[in-house]
Amino acid sequence: MISQVFILSSKGDHLIYKDFRGEAGSDVVSIFYEKVTALTGDQPPVVMVTPHKREQHSHKDLHFVHVRQGGLYWVATTTANSSPFTVIEFLNRLTALIKDYCGSLSEKSVQMNFALIYELLDEVVDYGYVQTTSSDVLKNFIQTEAVSSRPFSLFDLSNIGLFGAETQQSKVAPSSAATRPIQSSREQGGKSEIFVDVIERMSVVIGSNGVLMKADVEGEIRVKCYMPSCSEMRIGLNEEFSIGKSQLRGYGAAVRVDECSFHQAVRLDEFDSHRILRLSPSQGEQTVMQYQLSDDLPSAPPFRLFPTIERDSGGRLLMYMKLRCDLPPKRSLNVDCCCYCGFSLSQELSSPDQSAELRPQSRAVVWQIPRFPGGTQLSALFKLEVPGLSSASMLEVGPVGLSFELPKITATGLQIRFLRLTPVQPSPSQRWVRYVTHSDSYTIRI
Amino acid sequence: MMNDSLFSLVCAGEIFELKAELNSDKKEKKKEAVKKVIASMTVGKDVSALFPDVVNCMQTDNLELKKLVYLYLMNYAKSQPDMAIMAVNTFVKDCEDPNPLIRALAVRTMGCIRVDKITEYLCEPLRKCLKDEDPYVRKTAAVCVAKLHDINAQLVEDQGFLDTLKDLISDSNPMVVANAVAALSEIAESHPNSNLLDLNPQTINKLLTALNECTEWGQIFILDCLANYTPRDDRESQSICERVTPRLSHANSAVVLSAVKVLMKFMEMLPKDLDYYGTLLKKLAPPLVTLLSAEPELQYVALRNINLIVQRRPEILKHEMKVFFVKYNDPIYVKLEKLDIMIRLASQANIAQVLAELKEYATEVDVDFVRKAVRAIGRCAIKVEQSAERCVSTLLDLIQTKVNYVVQEAIVVIKDIFRKYPNKYESVIATLCENLDSLDEPEARAAMIWIVGEYAERIDNADELLESFLEGFHDESTQVQLQLLTAIVKLFLKKPTETQELVQQVLSLATQDSDNPDLRDRGYIYWRLLSTDPVAAKEVVLAEKPLISEETDLIEPTLLEELICHIGTLASVYHKPPSAFVEGSRGVQHKRLPGSAGSGESVESPDTGSAAGVSEAPPAVIPSQGDLLGDLLNLDLTPPTTTGPPPPSSGMQMGAMDLLGGGLDSLMGAGFGAPPAAMPASFTAPVSGGLDDLFDLGGGVGMPMGAYSPPKTVWLPAMKAKGLEISGTFARRAGVIQMEMTLTNKAMSVMTDFAIQFNRNSFGLAPAGPLQVLTPLSPNQSIEVTLPLNTVGPVMKMEPLNNLQVTDVHIYLYHKSHYYLHSRQVFLATWKDIPNDNESQFQIKDCHLNSDAASNKLQGSNIFTIAKRTVEGQDMLYQSMKLTNGIWVLAELRVQAGNPNYTISLKCRAPEVSQCVFQSYEAVLKN
Repeated sequence: MISQVFILSSKGDHLIYKDFRGEAGSDVVSIFYEKVTALTGDQPPVVMVTPHKREQHSHKDLHFVHVRQGGLYWVATTTANSSPFTVIEFLNRLTALIKDYCGSLSEKSVQMNFALIYELLDEVVDYGYVQTTSSDVLKNFIQTEAVSSRPFSLFDLSNIGLFGAETQQSKVAPSSAATRPIQSSREQGGKSEIFVDVIERMSVVIGSNGVLMKADVEGEIRVKCYMPSCSEMRIGLNEEFSIGKSQLRGYGAAVRVDECSFHQAVRLDEFDSHRILRLSPSQGEQTVMQYQLSDDLPSAPPFRLFPTIERDSGGRLLMYMKLRCDLPPKRSLNVDCCCYCGFSLSQELSSPDQSAELRPQSRAVVWQIPRFPGGTQLSALFKLEVPGLSSASMLEVGPVGLSFELPKITATGLQIRFLRLTPVQPSPSQRWVRYVTHSDSYTIRI
Repeated sequence: MMNDSLFSLVCAGEIFELKAELNSDKKEKKKEAVKKVIASMTVGKDVSALFPDVVNCMQTDNLELKKLVYLYLMNYAKSQPDMAIMAVNTFVKDCEDPNPLIRALAVRTMGCIRVDKITEYLCEPLRKCLKDEDPYVRKTAAVCVAKLHDINAQLVEDQGFLDTLKDLISDSNPMVVANAVAALSEIAESHPNSNLLDLNPQTINKLLTALNECTEWGQIFILDCLANYTPRDDRESQSICERVTPRLSHANSAVVLSAVKVLMKFMEMLPKDLDYYGTLLKKLAPPLVTLLSAEPELQYVALRNINLIVQRRPEILKHEMKVFFVKYNDPIYVKLEKLDIMIRLASQANIAQVLAELKEYATEVDVDFVRKAVRAIGRCAIKVEQSAERCVSTLLDLIQTKVNYVVQEAIVVIKDIFRKYPNKYESVIATLCENLDSLDEPEARAAMIWIVGEYAERIDNADELLESFLEGFHDESTQVQLQLLTAIVKLFLKKPTETQELVQQVLSLATQDSDNPDLRDRGYIYWRLLSTDPVAAKEVVLAEKPLISEETDLIEPTLLEELICHIGTLASVYHKPPSAFVEGSRGVQHKRLPGSAGSGESVESPDTGSAAGVSEAPPAVIPSQGDLLGDLLNLDLTPPTTTGPPPPSSGMQMGAMDLLGGGLDSLMGAGFGAPPAAMPASFTAPVSGGLDDLFDLGGGVGMPMGAYSPPKTVWLPAMKAKGLEISGTFARRAGVIQMEMTLTNKAMSVMTDFAIQFNRNSFGLAPAGPLQVLTPLSPNQSIEVTLPLNTVGPVMKMEPLNNLQVTDVHIYLYHKSHYYLHSRQVFLATWKDIPNDNESQFQIKDCHLNSDAASNKLQGSNIFTIAKRTVEGQDMLYQSMKLTNGIWVLAELRVQAGNPNYTISLKCRAPEVSQCVFQSYEAVLKN
């Protein structure tokens, strides 16, 4: 059971405070802020117990559960042995809901929409029990209108953006198109649009001998809907899509995942036969499907590193790195390459727009490559001053981590075949499909 | 942070303005004004002065405005109860409104106003709303009953709301069912004995039906409620499991975890040979793995839970090792949890992979993580024997990096590896010795000293190495000092000729210059041992050590069972029972896993059921006091199986300690100073009679013949010395100081082999002849012993002279073969070893002792308490005894405070004796 919910700005200002059960006073807000700012770096921020001796409400232990999103602290307190899992899930849903309703998550949008947020909280939680977080249900109850922090204009749509859309030939939506309050589509006659995002996160470990040791992909299909009158949506996946190791479909290269879970609103009656997800999307954003694949990626990992480490005569450590990108030549990416080691540095890079710096607190050399064309190879030479260089120092040069974002690519090969809406929408409806693969943890060991 | 008081000053004028706006005629203006009020309220300004004006806005048909006003009311009604009454009429009217939204809103808000006067008016509207035609109103009303119950429980009962709430469980709308279940669960928690949530197969069926239809959050309430149900048989539990399993693929991870909880609990009921059991095990793995792809916060909670699940049922995740490999961008708290689980899952099949990973981790940047990784390598070596060699060579590689903290951690774990595999990897000692100078942490220094002492004969310059530590002896931590003392004694016993001086030096440092009682005592023991009987000393100090086991950090089985019942909750994150952090009545009920259908005892009482669960738990572990290392270090002096006084150095040798502690301390009045912490307090109660007598003696030494000799007093009551009672006095007869004692055997068996030893004391008292106890002492026999004393013993000045806190006389008692000294580990291993079929359970009725008294009483009958735990007011005593014919019996005695009935589980290789043992328990406890 949730006792209180409050939202704090990063500076500790109270943006929202709602007490559901009268078990503790509002002084806990400052207690929380003191505690959370006293934490040094990476301590489990999930659950904390306040000491017994507090001024007024000293009779009960309080447990704080918080998440950070949009630069804000979203905090719930509880006194009973309730489930932190439920609370974290709830807080995540709450942020999503408020993002849907207010358009974006920021201190400003929360401040401007406080009345709306209080109204939402009142419907979403009753006496600490979560009632619903579905925007479909909530739209029946919510009266307050969102105040958009940035006026949304249709003119934005004509701008050229970055994301390609497979279903509409050459039209491209601006990147801001998906950050507006859902209600505006209803009240202000906003454009009815639907965004389907396929987002994959890739974690790869390549051993020091170049062997791929681990390659996992976690993916999800997210639907963001600004369509008031859509009764059903059908999302077609690759027909050769298969789940689990045993099951193989068709003849071609199967798109395979290990596990798959669906949003409860998804109806799967056509899934087994035709790989079609049917759902009635509610307003706002929801994750329709989540899936995972370990170890058996259909394609080679996009980056390879060939490091050589040696000692030169002057007692320095030379790191010569060759980084190869195996993506199709047309792509060009922004890549950060981060190598753990703890020494001072001089460098030679293959192109002037790249940069490298040593970050002493994380003991890492960061090599930034703003444009990395596919199918090419870049190299860098780092000379490291090592006090008391010995053969053991070589062991201290730690793994290399890459971070990047691959638009228009899914590592599993999952594609959206089609996106159909029924009843057929009146003309100005637009459907967008976007693919992106992030590096979650791309590690190359040396 | 804002300064609240400053703010309220500043906005005094603002309040006036707001007042005007609130009373404006225009609806829009009113709304904006209320919004402003609420905005001020949020940032902590006091706007309670506006109460009447805001309440005036309440009567409106604008829902948005109404909601805002209600929001204000909820916040301030409590501080202004009189004015809150003004709102009641509107509330009551709103509860009749044709719009269900308004009806629900009114009843919801009214419940949140925690003012007694208002609750009176709430009853009627609430009754109507509970039967409302609209499910939205009904579900709100259901929660409102819980709110009202919190304010005034009696009122709720009197008004019959609880029955209405129970009816709502059968409601057609799943959301109403879910809220009714949630409300009832909460109310039931404050009435532990009521059967409010009368779970029977019919209601369970209703809940399961609602489960499929309600929202994800409702599913959580229902699953949590299901988890409290105990199915009647395995068939019912299977059918529930089947209906819960689909929840495992839910997108909401809280639903998944609640479903896991239900399944983990009901699985206990399923026979293991059932096909469905295997299927279920397989189905549990994927959702758990999926949880690890969530946000780091959720991952952390998931990992803490998986840690419990892995301990309870390792087979679920045994093939999923890879998902627990650490990602370099995981937050540190996730990394550490993953590492822990990796070691739990390590087995021969995957050890190579695990080791390769750990080696990588050991070169990472984060110090804490690296340390834990190095330690993990050592734990792998101990857990998987086949990998030990590879682990050792990995550790040696790491030592070569010369990174200070890596080296120190490596040395600490290598010591454990030596303990597990003696005489196997000693070749690495040379490498370790090279790093001696870089060690600055006590733990690493102690470990290194232990290694040097243990393998002194193979290290040429062992004496030099140890001597170098001795220089700064007093600056070392206790851990290092104790270790150094032991190591030098070991060295002396191995190479007596060259190291005499060294051992003298350390003994005098430890006994004379130290303020630490542990150190002093250990020093004395060694000194005495060495000076009286070097052969015995060798047998004691260099005795064979029991092997360490890898399972030291497991959660003890009963706690684990309870935590499994709390999967997904805070308890599972803290790994503590809810009673440890939730105060009041809530959540204090003790949850237990249901007994297995396969075991003989049916579930007649909750205790029986859980005992069956205990015996089934695969690795039963009694918790170790400190961490693994503390234990290992202390273990270097093992409980002797030989005769001879064991040194009081280790918390593990509880049995041995009893003898010494009980015997000596009661005689001398805490003669040994502070006992080691692990020693049960009951053994150290001083007997003041001893003190006085000795003091008298001090006065009497120089007095003429025929001086007063105090009557004998009991120095050592029988119940503290395994049945041997000693009473005695000191007297001077014919110019010879004599110690006159009466030894009485109050135990059931024969005692033999008595000996006495005097410590150094202020008067130089020492026995002039050996203690003459010729005959074996049979039960209930008494014997008079007179021991002539002289004063030629070594004199050591004690300050103050008559303070018998100072060690003076020690009597060592030992009798063989009546009982055995168990360490916890031995107990545990034996308990595990004995098949479950041999366990039998009895009830001892009408016994009004508390657990300590019972333990003492039993000890009088040679039944020794090896460990004691207290779980939720229930004391568990783990006891052992050895019958004279050589049969071992292990027992677990549960004593609940205030309950005269004890439950005892006996485990024994010869189950036929259990009945007799039980009878003797009963006899002992009741007399």
